[in-house]
Amino acid sequence: MEKLIKDLQIKIVQVLNLMDVQPYDIKADDQLVGGDLGIDSIDVLEMVIMIEKDYSVKIDNKELGVKVFATLRTLAEYVYENSPELRN
Amino acid sequence: MNDVRVYISGMGIVTSLGNGISNTRDAIQKSLRGIRPLTVFPTASNQPLPVGEAANPIENHDLPRTHQLAQLAADQAMTDAEEAPDAVVMGVTTGGMLTTEYLLKSKASDPKMYRLHATGSVAEVIARRYRCPGPALTVSTACSSGAVALKIALEMLRTGSFRRVLAGGADSLCRLTYYGFNALQLIDPEGAHPLDANRRGMSVGEGAAMLLLVANDPDHAVAELLGAGLSCDAYHPATPHPQGQGALAAMQAALLDAGVSVPDIDYINLHGTGTLDNDISEARAVNALFSRKKPLLSSVKGACGHSLAAAGAIEAVISAISISSGVVPATVGCCHPDPELELDPVMQPSQEQIETVLSNSFGFGGNNAAVVLGACGKPKPDRIPDETRPMAILGNACITGTGRTGPTMRAIARGEACAGLLSQQEISTNLSAGQVRRLKRFPRLALSLATAAHEKSGAGDPPTAVFLGTGWGALSETSDFLNRLFKTGEQFPSPIDFVGSVHNAAAGQVAMHFQATGANITMTGGDYSFEQSLMTAGLLSKNNNHPFLVIGADESHPELSRLFDRSVADTSILSDGGGALYLRKGTRISGLTIRSVFFENTATNPEVISKLIQQIELQQPLHDRYGVILAGLPSASRREGEIQLQTLLAQTGFNHPVIDYRKLTGEFASASAVAAVIAVNFLQDRKIPGPLCGDKHGELGAKGALILGTGDFITAVEVMPQ
Repeated sequence: MEKLIKDLQIKIVQVLNLMDVQPYDIKADDQLVGGDLGIDSIDVLEMVIMIEKDYSVKIDNKELGVKVFATLRTLAEYVYENSPELRN
Repeated sequence: MNDVRVYISGMGIVTSLGNGISNTRDAIQKSLRGIRPLTVFPTASNQPLPVGEAANPIENHDLPRTHQLAQLAADQAMTDAEEAPDAVVMGVTTGGMLTTEYLLKSKASDPKMYRLHATGSVAEVIARRYRCPGPALTVSTACSSGAVALKIALEMLRTGSFRRVLAGGADSLCRLTYYGFNALQLIDPEGAHPLDANRRGMSVGEGAAMLLLVANDPDHAVAELLGAGLSCDAYHPATPHPQGQGALAAMQAALLDAGVSVPDIDYINLHGTGTLDNDISEARAVNALFSRKKPLLSSVKGACGHSLAAAGAIEAVISAISISSGVVPATVGCCHPDPELELDPVMQPSQEQIETVLSNSFGFGGNNAAVVLGACGKPKPDRIPDETRPMAILGNACITGTGRTGPTMRAIARGEACAGLLSQQEISTNLSAGQVRRLKRFPRLALSLATAAHEKSGAGDPPTAVFLGTGWGALSETSDFLNRLFKTGEQFPSPIDFVGSVHNAAAGQVAMHFQATGANITMTGGDYSFEQSLMTAGLLSKNNNHPFLVIGADESHPELSRLFDRSVADTSILSDGGGALYLRKGTRISGLTIRSVFFENTATNPEVISKLIQQIELQQPLHDRYGVILAGLPSASRREGEIQLQTLLAQTGFNHPVIDYRKLTGEFASASAVAAVIAVNFLQDRKIPGPLCGDKHGELGAKGALILGTGDFITAVEVMPQ
């Protein structure tokens, strides 16, 4: 799980072009969307595509998205539980 | 100026519900639903999403699908017309994109094959078809484009200089919008259910609608275009303001402009896309405005899909059908109205006496428009006459390959070219990291120019309205979106690139930066885009004293610029940049003024240069009025341009300096915006730098500057001392 969190930190900074943010600035239990990082609803959708592409996990509705993207840890947990690659 | 009343004397429509007025009326009366799985292009999935696809009998394989749809609708609108329209105004967002996607996928490299890619080419094809001698304007404000086109046409007619304007909107389905809206999770996989408690999104559609609008001629008219209002949310690139603030402002402005009050509205044709956010935001705005009693209201987007730039014009035509035949459309697709919306939508088509209709259209970038139509012949209070006040220049800025305004002007003063490309970093020096995180080259240029022009004015009141002209828009975002779509087998398109690819995204960013909640207009008319935005600014900023921005900008893209822009295809140095002017209407402001003087088509207009001279010389002889001509000779039409320029010089005996400015700026569609900034700086110095004068006298004295556009259109913009 910790490795997955680290991987996600790097990918999020890259995919969202968070220019003044270091991967470790994204804390596992802090609010991920709408907080200091400046991540908004369009960024969430970009992350949805990245998660589907890299982990084959679909997050295809808003209600689910709100729960999954609450924090980096909730995201990592959801990906871990649902990714066929990670579970094997 | 006497009050001009504007009537719809002809109209045409093509949607997934059918082709023509009577088929559309029948489909509405029967509550038909034209939403079916996509067939226009193959998809990787064997279960394509439902869309509103037009049953389009292809007449001309040489034209892209958007152009064909526009032509079908325009032919209907012009059936009984005896004269050519004086102008064409169209809302278009994707233009020849469907054809371009095929070409890019097959790696076609001949620029000729992309000649109808431009959004502006739709209006130009229509203008040529009906031998329209006047301007062919193109507005690209996403899903409000068609309604904004009607507003611009209305204001043109109100000036008294135009009598007949053919206006509307067109967009065909294409991969960009089909996959883009899906990547944003805005598509209902079962087809749109607007206003329904279980709605999950919209259905992308396609179509066209055109209206022949005439001044003061109610005979045989279908309805009257009473007024229209515009606003910008200045809130978010793709999500409407949650309380519908912008929507409310647009509706209020439309009622005021139309001279009607809230109880006069018999029916509202809602924007009603079926997305969670749009429907709740629009409902809150409607409930705020119609707090006592709501009129009949419905959305047709569950019937014909959301045809993007065409939607506003399509719904204006449907509103006119409601007025002329009394049929009120049902909210097709809505089974259980969402109680949270508190709207009570029309569920079955009904027959009523409908005299006044409000039609809403809202788009990405927070671009809102509302249009009011009414039955002909109703008495109406006189409008406050429009004042024709000059636009005073309070600030200016440019970006070229040499640098920002200072370095550019110093190079120009030495007679040196400033062609080329600045680095992304140099463009962004006055923007914060947070601001530019999601912005690629074009929106950075626009935002950087806007900020610099405002600062140059002394950073006084922020602008309330934004007018942006761009030949090609966000090429980087468009290219990146399509490349990733193709590379990933159509599986993983980027939502960020889609939102950024929309032509008006950059002007939306400018609006958010300044919290500019007034009109927010993006014009995309090729080499004449800056002139179109300046002309529109003059029309739409008539009766207020608020400052506004007029920007012209284009980015150079390593792959697409050479394919799309014929003037770039044969140049050795790639160039881009633009110019911005921070303006205010007024007579008591000292300094320089700017004005769009002339805009006509050269295709079927042999006397165009004489007409230009006549127009200018209504004021004073050209040679006395201007001390310099900055001539725009796009490389692709240089030969025609040189003939046009020489004809002008010969007929007027003009012998002050003439500057061929594209030799300085390099080739890009909005180079004329840089020319405007150069003219402003010359006039401030009251002289033309020696190296640019040749053997001519460079002192300007009290004379102004003429910025001339040549090629397919002749345009004239003047910068004058006040």
